[in-house]
Amino acid sequence: MEKEQLKQQLKEQIIQFLNLTNLTPNDIKDDEPLFGEGLGLDSIDSIELIVLLSREYGITIEDPKEGRKILVDINTMTDYIIGHRTK
Amino acid sequence: MAQETIYPGIPPSILRRMGKAVRMGIGAAIPIAQQNNVDGIIIGTANGGMEDCIKFLNQIKDYDEGMLTPGNFVQSTPNAIAAQIGLLHKNKGYNITHVHRGLAFENALLDAAMLLSENPHHQYLLGGVDEISDYNYNIDWLDGCFKKEKISNAELYNSNSDGTIAGEGAAMFLVNNNSVNAVAKINAVQTLHTTNEEDVRQALKQFLQQQLPAAQQTDLLLTGENGDARQSKCYIAAESLFDSHTTIARFKHLCGEFPTASAIALWLVCYLKKLPQHMIKRQGTASAVRHIIICNNYRGLQHGFMHITLEQGLHNSI
Repeated sequence: MEKEQLKQQLKEQIIQFLNLTNLTPNDIKDDEPLFGEGLGLDSIDSIELIVLLSREYGITIEDPKEGRKILVDINTMTDYIIGHRTK
Repeated sequence: MAQETIYPGIPPSILRRMGKAVRMGIGAAIPIAQQNNVDGIIIGTANGGMEDCIKFLNQIKDYDEGMLTPGNFVQSTPNAIAAQIGLLHKNKGYNITHVHRGLAFENALLDAAMLLSENPHHQYLLGGVDEISDYNYNIDWLDGCFKKEKISNAELYNSNSDGTIAGEGAAMFLVNNNSVNAVAKINAVQTLHTTNEEDVRQALKQFLQQQLPAAQQTDLLLTGENGDARQSKCYIAAESLFDSHTTIARFKHLCGEFPTASAIALWLVCYLKKLPQHMIKRQGTASAVRHIIICNNYRGLQHGFMHITLEQGLHNSI
């Protein structure tokens, strides 16, 4: 899968998993922070994202410090998925 | 299905996690909670967020008890409704949820009455909430709760078949001991578990004797008749206690059947200025409505009676 296709798919999955029904994939910028000022996600959302990575891409994040570096924006998540996906 | 509003009082970041029952409950509670300082929140709900609950249970199975998302679990507990109302309005008072299936609202009301007798100057947010969704509709369908044939609401009471129509809703009230500007007075509530219509008749007869002695009469009997042939015997038994003075009316063609539908009945008698013709089963001779008996049952087993008095002038003649 092309990187841009993966980004699009990931945005759709984030919208679905987090029930962000007021957003479309086009509303989420690749470099927009997921937490805080950007999408405004919170700690419960971070667990939902970790579950998303596990279910959809077979990626397990066990170290919270590692999670902070991955769940920054769409770019960092996509790069990590490309390098670590098992499905 | 309930027509949901856009819920202007709920922040979008919180709204997106809420299940339907939580949204409906909070949406109905916001006008009261924003305008009044309440000393506690008392909610009756049989199922709470059933949709989220079943989603969570399905996840446990689908993902072999592995990694599960917390959202569905957090929203699925019945007390999520009262808890979220409390959190949104920073209310740290009494916060409780009654889950006695078809008598959940009556038990919430009983709780409020006991609290008000202990704390006469307090006031409470009291409500009844239940949702219908794909999962619990299908479960109740398999249990034979709903009619197999298509039926319009207007034809509900003409049907002779088993089952009723599905419903859902939320109704909220501010209850206190202050009669100034009160919409209605809730005099008494009584519950009963039985499948025997004679037990219902006797219990209601005793309830009426206690509540309306001597010259006082029931002006309106509002029943939970729901078009289910299996349950009509209990309502027929109840209606047999009332003479031509009493108007008999029904409400479940408006909201469908759900465990806390009696909260909708209470809301209707509090806020309707005039009974619409489609609610009336038998027009009585009472020229004005003051004493009202609400008689409801859930699945022919859980029966609840309420005696409501309306302040004179609030209701037009029917």
